[in-house]
Amino acid sequence: MSDTDTVAVEVDQYWPDDADEDEGIVSTWFVREGATVEEGDLLCEIQVEKVDADVLAPTDGTLDEILVPEDGEFARGDVLARIEPS
Amino acid sequence: MAQTQESVVERELTMSRAMVEAIAHEMREDEEVFYMGEDVADYGGIFDSTAGLREEFGYDRIMDVPISETAYLGAAVGAAQAGMRPIAELMFVDFFGVAMDQVYNQMAKNTYMSGGNVSVPMVLTTAVGGYYNDAAQHSQTLYGTFAHLPGMKVVVPSTAYDAKGLMHNAVRDDDPVVYMFHKRLMGIGWMPAPDGPKTPVPETDYTIPFGSADVKREGADVTIVTLGLHVHRALEAAESLAEDGVDCEVVDLRTLVPLDDETILESVGKTGRLVVVDEDYRSFGVTGEIVARVAESSLADLEAVERVAAADVPIPYARPLENEMLPSTDDIEAAVQDTQS
Repeated sequence: MSDTDTVAVEVDQYWPDDADEDEGIVSTWFVREGATVEEGDLLCEIQVEKVDADVLAPTDGTLDEILVPEDGEFARGDVLARIEPS
Repeated sequence: MAQTQESVVERELTMSRAMVEAIAHEMREDEEVFYMGEDVADYGGIFDSTAGLREEFGYDRIMDVPISETAYLGAAVGAAQAGMRPIAELMFVDFFGVAMDQVYNQMAKNTYMSGGNVSVPMVLTTAVGGYYNDAAQHSQTLYGTFAHLPGMKVVVPSTAYDAKGLMHNAVRDDDPVVYMFHKRLMGIGWMPAPDGPKTPVPETDYTIPFGSADVKREGADVTIVTLGLHVHRALEAAESLAEDGVDCEVVDLRTLVPLDDETILESVGKTGRLVVVDEDYRSFGVTGEIVARVAESSLADLEAVERVAAADVPIPYARPLENEMLPSTDDIEAAVQDTQS
């Protein structure tokens, strides 16, 4: 499946407003690849500069691929996962 | 896609989120349920034990309290006797000393002392455990201290699934329950949990009855009885021992009071070998109690006994020293090997 058929879970919209840091980590994934999700479901928790944020599913579908694993680092602009819309 | 009632739970939760989900459910169902403690409102609990609750329920039901454990735990006992169902959090179990009269003499005994005229339907939640270099006054588990004194039920969850079911049961219980959650299992960003405590958790409410231990791994050669964080250490040891041909059964107690003797005795009856693992101090504690109960009931079944516990010294701050004195996976493996000779 090409990336154009899936919806990106983008980290930028969850970046804490007052964070100077340009990197963060994924502390926990709550769903595994292949799981069915609904828009607004909790996908993972991220941490940027000691601030936690919940990342939610942007659409109904199947979690196609996790791109940043637990304890993995990401930078601004990164995509954490891709969802295949249902 | 249509979901059936029996559909597999795909959602996994950390232990802290599972606890919070149960508390939120109980608060929606019963307006007498409220939560108070230090840094539980705006901060959400320093170990995420109340994350998000203040946003939903407001400051009247999620209350930050002044730093006087004796005052607010006493207030919780009074509120419980007056018909409310308080959940009061002792930030670190190590701090119980300053509120010892409220916990030991009031919360635990008022039902008895009043001749049954009052009940004390409260939950005392508290963070326990070490392995993060917080030294002797912030790292204890004190399981034995609380389990020792009659009048309190004592709950120690090891997974998100258990944490939610046990919390529902705790809030609905008409007697005082001490709910001891291990910091290292909560799934906090700055204190990563081992693999294991994060489990699938149903969104609906469910209860796990007290006094029902859970066999987390079945095995034929040795019974490992443990609780809390060390369920996961024992499971890790069991995986490694399996490669050496030693098949371990891991019994997670889940509650110390009431204690599920039956499951322990049944397991030892099968394996003949008992290893008890506890993060609390070795002397006068959980390990001695379990061994004594098995010896009293099933002495003939016992071929070997080992206990693995914290050394009887204050928990050191220095990492190498703390690692040396608290029970490790390697210590469990060595103890199991000792039962095989």
